Amino acid sequence: MLHAKIIDTKEKKLSIIEAENFISSHDYGASIYFTGTVRNQNDDKSVIGITYDSHDALVINSFQEIYNEADQKLNIKDKSVYIEHAKGYLNLGEVSIIIAVACKHRDQAYVLSRYIIEEIKKRSPIWKKEHYQNNDSAWLKGNPIINEKN
Amino acid sequence: MKVVIELFGASRDFSDKNSIEFDIKNNSTIKDVREEILDYLDLNFKGNKNFIKIVNSSAFCSNDNIISDNYKITNNEKIAIIPPIGGG
Repeated sequence: MLHAKIIDTKEKKLSIIEAENFISSHDYGASIYFTGTVRNQNDDKSVIGITYDSHDALVINSFQEIYNEADQKLNIKDKSVYIEHAKGYLNLGEVSIIIAVACKHRDQAYVLSRYIIEEIKKRSPIWKKEHYQNNDSAWLKGNPIINEKN
Repeated sequence: MKVVIELFGASRDFSDKNSIEFDIKNNSTIKDVREEILDYLDLNFKGNKNFIKIVNSSAFCSNDNIISDNYKITNNEKIAIIPPIGGG
């Protein structure tokens, strides 16, 4: 079971409670909640916020692909996964991503959670523009997208 | 014919709008469009080196699929430029 969504920060905040409601089940004995938050420092610069941009359709496709791959690559068939990523401006400490996973056992849950975030970093078209204390801002360099299908 | 390049991430700095439109020859490919964008940057941003780097390391996307440099563009097609990524 997968929930995958891009959340416009003007409309709502990402919610761990909603993630918990989605993945909770008596079928699973292990749950992991990963959140990414906006931190105040990057490359010796004082960050005050981040604007996130996203190609929504490609991002949702990538979340779906990553979820499906867990079956073949990780051999984790029974699972519940909740992925939400923010789009728009976030202040320090606000949550930019939630990855909640529930599996039968803890080793699967740890592996799956780590796999999802690492693959999102490589494959999901999401961009960050940092805003600094001196009123400057800059898009982070990032890495060329890796397309699993090619 | 026309092609609309939708801007994302760092490429949003290429224009105040969300997209740039180019007139291109029939049977143009993504490779040709990449050259068009570089010419546009040369003209409007004096060949800003960071912008050129972004274009040369970007992928392109049509109908929610990543496409290759040999992909042939059709008239009025919308193509998204996908600069280097880094979410989370």
